[in-house]
Amino acid sequence: MLKNKTAHLYLMVLFTLLYAPIFFLVLYSFNAGTTMQGWQGFTWNHYQELFSDYHLIEIVLDTLILALLSALIATIVGTVGALVINRQKNRVWKNTLLSLNNVLLVSPDVIIGASLLILFTVCGFSLGFVSTLFAHIAFSIPIVVLMILPRLQEMSHSLIDAAKDLGANDQQVLSQVTLPYISPGVLAGFFMAFTYSLDDFAVTFFVTGNGFTTLSVEIYSRARQGVSLEINALSTIMFLVSIILVLFYYLINQRANRQRKNKLTKIVLPGERE
Amino acid sequence: MENKEPIIEFQQVDLSFGSTKVLNKIDLALDAGKFYTLLGPSGSGKSTILKLISGQLQADSGEILFEGQRINHLPAEKRRVNTVFQNYALFPNMNVFDNVAFGPKLKGLSKDEVRLKVETMLSLVKLADFSNREINELSGGQQQRVAIARALANDPEVLLLDEPLSALDYKLRKDMQQELRTIQKRLGITFVFVTHDQEEALAMSDWIFVMNDGVIQQNGTPEDIYDEPINHFVADFIGESNIVKGIMKSDYLVHFVGKDFINVDAGMRPEERVEVVIRPEDLDLTTIENGKLVVTIEDQSFRGDFYEITAQDDDGNQWQVQATNSATIGERVGLTFDPEDIHIMRFNESENDFDARLERYEE
Amino acid sequence: MLVNKNKFSFTRLTFYSTYGLWLLLFVIAPLMLLLWQSLVGSDGHLTLQNYQTFFVSGTYLTMAFNSVWYAFIITAVTLLISYPAAYIINSLKYKQFWLLLIILPTWINLLLKTYAFIGILAKTGPINQLAESLGLGTHQLLFSDWSFIIVAAYIEIPFMILPIFNSLTDIDPVLEQASRDLGANRWQTLKNVIWPLSLPGVKSGIQAVFIPSLSLFMVTRLIGGNRVITLGTAIEQHFLVTQNWQFGSTIGVVLIIAMVITMLLTREK
Repeated sequence: MLKNKTAHLYLMVLFTLLYAPIFFLVLYSFNAGTTMQGWQGFTWNHYQELFSDYHLIEIVLDTLILALLSALIATIVGTVGALVINRQKNRVWKNTLLSLNNVLLVSPDVIIGASLLILFTVCGFSLGFVSTLFAHIAFSIPIVVLMILPRLQEMSHSLIDAAKDLGANDQQVLSQVTLPYISPGVLAGFFMAFTYSLDDFAVTFFVTGNGFTTLSVEIYSRARQGVSLEINALSTIMFLVSIILVLFYYLINQRANRQRKNKLTKIVLPGERE
Repeated sequence: MENKEPIIEFQQVDLSFGSTKVLNKIDLALDAGKFYTLLGPSGSGKSTILKLISGQLQADSGEILFEGQRINHLPAEKRRVNTVFQNYALFPNMNVFDNVAFGPKLKGLSKDEVRLKVETMLSLVKLADFSNREINELSGGQQQRVAIARALANDPEVLLLDEPLSALDYKLRKDMQQELRTIQKRLGITFVFVTHDQEEALAMSDWIFVMNDGVIQQNGTPEDIYDEPINHFVADFIGESNIVKGIMKSDYLVHFVGKDFINVDAGMRPEERVEVVIRPEDLDLTTIENGKLVVTIEDQSFRGDFYEITAQDDDGNQWQVQATNSATIGERVGLTFDPEDIHIMRFNESENDFDARLERYEE
Repeated sequence: MLVNKNKFSFTRLTFYSTYGLWLLLFVIAPLMLLLWQSLVGSDGHLTLQNYQTFFVSGTYLTMAFNSVWYAFIITAVTLLISYPAAYIINSLKYKQFWLLLIILPTWINLLLKTYAFIGILAKTGPINQLAESLGLGTHQLLFSDWSFIIVAAYIEIPFMILPIFNSLTDIDPVLEQASRDLGANRWQTLKNVIWPLSLPGVKSGIQAVFIPSLSLFMVTRLIGGNRVITLGTAIEQHFLVTQNWQFGSTIGVVLIIAMVITMLLTREK
């Protein structure tokens, strides 16, 4: 146990600095003025403004639909991927697959964005919702795989042997033994894919084209033109939603932890996607 | 010995974790150069005492003295005491040499002095050729030796050993017991050894503290504790025991299982209710006519050098007997024993009263 | 065994082809296309001309060097702040809770956090107001090297703390006690035992911070203005503004090489 006062002071300062920008945003969402400079009294105006800005609400909905859809598909493909990788007996082959899987995870976003832009153009694919969806699915799959693999690896093979011994065929083993066992990983994977998609800016920026836009891209273009406190109101709402999502994720993790006793699941961060 | 100051002394030491009392008014005094054992079941507080000596924990109240100096708040690194940890706690990022050299290097010894120290310690634990090995290349027994060498390389006045042998297999454990005893005698420093294994405690120690529920139940030489257990807990924990209820009719006469027996205990109130202990190896099978007790054989298993026999008397008490000859299950036989094999335990007798009473009637 | 062979291999085929198709289409193909683009000259033929331009022109080399330099400073600042933080959090009673608090801000859209800094660092923002009231005068904070480094470090700190914290948690606390027992004080224990054992976490933290820092472009544009140009901004510039994909791809390949070098330097044994 550390009793050092300076240590605690250090942490307090760090936490203050980490949260200051967020509270700054939240605070000014209630500012009667029109900019983030100078406090001029309390108002709900910017929230009213936000709720009557149908263009922005449409973008928010589009972003959510995109995130849900891409997370769903990425979870399915990612689960399949984890099963495929886990099944490999040959070490070299298995490591090759794992490395390929991780390429998109470690690649800088601009590289993913630029290379996918080339891909879509070469294939004659028009840029818009579908291209963005494909891009989001693509960069979400590896994290789903990584969330599921550890659970597959720690799953004792005797479970599968027992199921087969009792007469289950491979499909039944998969649906009745393996999938239920890895379900916390699948759920966490879905959650991560969802936040990856919500957070993404850079890749989306490359592949959206003109007809379709997400919240991140919209904020970027607005921020360059000049700030409007409507965005602060939106940030506040998104901050609250984020907290709820994180708590939800934390609960899933806790439950998973109870199942595997004492062994703590390491918390994984959403991608630091621009 | 009498006028020499104890090397470590506890006076009324208390410690709680939250609402759980871990140590309750512990008093103890350890003399330099002896092999002490703290013996008790897990959760009895024996490791806690070790951690208070080494400085990993701080007492809530009471005094901890080292050669007469109060060390309650002295940080661990300043105490002339070193620990052999239960799971060895070897640094995985260093090889054998660097692990053992850790303390000497911190003391600022020169390169040659460090090397000499490490080599001496490694040959003391018979690992002279292992200095360049990585920790994960060693077997459990070898890791154990490195841990001992590392602790001793710091020239401690007192070496603390926290269940160091519990992870080893039976044969290795026996060897290490002997070796630890040899090392202790050779270096002449104080060893404080923590274990839950009574056999280990009896085999190695000069002096044993038996602990339960944060209290020292009894302390003494291995012989004292085995022969004259103070209470039910000690009798049950040390060796195997037959414990039955009895009444002290008068000095040297005890009544149990419906009969009076002559014994060697005295100093109780007349008609005092007591517990009677007879060790299984003190009981012998005989004919019904010659038996002091008559029992029916219930179960028997062969243990190599004796038969472990379970029998029941007519009052329903179970008797464990270690006999050299076998019996037949269901057979009725006699049990015989000598007056000095009967040990009497009073209820709630404190260690001081116990010692005083023994001294009084032995004079 | 009564396993239906056909059904089994059909499932297997579907699985392998689904995942394999993703790998092929979205991992291998895009990277190959990027490489191919970088090798196409303005006349449409295969050539190394783009690379020649990159490595001969002082401008691009300086830019690449600057980008690495900024990423280095950002990583160093982040590490300096994060290691003590991770160490302290690991010693706390409810460490998982405090860690969660560190991580929580990462779930907030990066654009929003950056946008907050635009307000905080503005000429009439709180920092300048504070400086003003202390008599230090008003300064242009936005669009400077330091504002870029501070905001980037702010964003990266949790990504550095987490792996370091994880490796610290994995260290058996008894080792710390053993070190103290053998005569090391707290500082010596940290230096000789804890730091070496937490190096894997430090390395993955460096990896997690250095590589993205090389390619930041949104933060660069919004906070650094056009003062700071990184490999990331250059790629975006060539792809989306000047539409010179060939040269953009060339910079991309250089970035990938820088990334691979970083990973090789920080990989675990």
